[in-house]
Amino acid sequence: MSVWPAVWLTIKLAALTTAILMIIAVPLGWWLATTKAKTRPLFEAITALPLVLPPTVLGFYLLVLMRPDAPLGGLWVQATGNTLAFSFPGLVMASVVYSLPFAVQPMQTAFASVPQSAIDAARTLGATPRDALFSVALPLARRGFLTGMVLSFAHTVGEFGVVLMVGGNIPGRTRVISIEIFNAVETLDYTTAHLLSSWLLVLSLAVLTLVYLLNGRGSARVG
Amino acid sequence: MRVALRRGDRFALDVDGKVPLQGITAIVGPSGGGKTTLLRALAGLERPDMADVRFGGTVWEGPGVFVPPELRRIGFVFQGASLFPHLSVSENIRYGAKRRGVTKYGAILDALALGPLMERRVDGLSGGEARRVALGRALASNPAVLFLDEPLSGLDQARKEDLLPYIGRAVAEARVPAIYVTHSRAEVAALADRVLGLDHGQLTGWKTPPIRFLARVIETTGDSVRVALLGAPDDALGARTVIPRLAEPGELVGLGVRSESLIVSTVSPGRSDAVLSVPATVVEAEGGLVVDVYGQRLALPPSGPHAIGGEVWLSVREVSPRPELGDSAENR
Repeated sequence: MSVWPAVWLTIKLAALTTAILMIIAVPLGWWLATTKAKTRPLFEAITALPLVLPPTVLGFYLLVLMRPDAPLGGLWVQATGNTLAFSFPGLVMASVVYSLPFAVQPMQTAFASVPQSAIDAARTLGATPRDALFSVALPLARRGFLTGMVLSFAHTVGEFGVVLMVGGNIPGRTRVISIEIFNAVETLDYTTAHLLSSWLLVLSLAVLTLVYLLNGRGSARVG
Repeated sequence: MRVALRRGDRFALDVDGKVPLQGITAIVGPSGGGKTTLLRALAGLERPDMADVRFGGTVWEGPGVFVPPELRRIGFVFQGASLFPHLSVSENIRYGAKRRGVTKYGAILDALALGPLMERRVDGLSGGEARRVALGRALASNPAVLFLDEPLSGLDQARKEDLLPYIGRAVAEARVPAIYVTHSRAEVAALADRVLGLDHGQLTGWKTPPIRFLARVIETTGDSVRVALLGAPDDALGARTVIPRLAEPGELVGLGVRSESLIVSTVSPGRSDAVLSVPATVVEAEGGLVVDVYGQRLALPPSGPHAIGGEVWLSVREVSPRPELGDSAENR
């Protein structure tokens, strides 16, 4: 049994999810870090939900939303002619929701540590708020950006429950590494299970080391 | 301008006044008196509950109007320099210039002696260097008005004294009106053309303007220059003194004098440790004392009974020099 379709699918899913997440996490993290709105705790809680909810619960509600007769699923059918549940795009959407806190929280923390006076200085030098975000806040928060990116990628590679609920177990379309491992164990193919598991283990260790390396080096240089 | 700003249920700031758009206007007052808040409100960095801010003929804030800071064409020098640590010195200076389409700011860099720093990283700068870069960054964007919020706070006395002439020279070079918030009397004496008091969020009115002689550089002596008070005859040796070289022969400098470094006497002090010792004629004696020194009029703090037309001697122990560009000196 070839493991390569699952490996390729996993990398594709994680890369796409990370890219979408970082596009969401920059404005959302900035808003959470700077807003004075009273609703902020609610939005922080919503962002953090995937950390505490069982993946099955998250997966179940996402599946309900993605049914062709539900609003989200219906829109998708209208737009593309395909159903969202048990498809690769559905899997990407679910992964974005599931890994959201891993992208947003490092971004929010990093933005919160950007001094307000640097933003003020940019504004008095002719920068619009958006210009100040991209030319000053984001470069100063780059460690948060890198951390969020790496953690989102790693977390998506490692997800299982949500993928199984929303994507099922379709070879080449939704069967990612973690599910391939599950299948291998079910069929007593321990060689494949060992192989894939050790890859994930080494990858996770490498990713986390990279995150701590980034944080350590950044703090030594900044101050 | 009229600025009212509420913190909690009380007014933290309620200011109503006009500031002429020329020279350096110092706003002085105790800490917590609202100086920084006023400056931030004028810059658009804080949004007051009620404001009527006009700059020249332009309304910056009024009913239904709020011009954001990036469109006010201001320069702002913050208390801690607030440079961008991810950019080099030259990138910091270009930041505002690029956004306002300014390409020529070499004279500002020269006035602040920033050339040798341009390729440095910001985190390698000393405190004094960082302040010079911050001032250069604000002026390089060619602002229509410059706000300085205690630009020398946190530096030791020697650094402050080093930096004062740079500030005077750069602001004069940029020909920009400046509002300078400080509680340092030395900074006021060295730099201010007029002084406005602010306490408990209220303007307390114009204060006695700083005492300043105008002098011309007559010769260079190494790192220093010898200057003579404007209008003084060649043989008036007490009207000459030596200051750091912040202008070249023929150019004008202002010599700020703190009231405690000035002694007014009715007889010639003879030999003393004064750097300037000049005769003066009393022009006004009611309220404050106004004297004429070789054609320069100076308002001095009240001191003893004087008769109009009477002769007095002024002995100055210490001066804070600043450059004066010829044409701007004419206007002031």
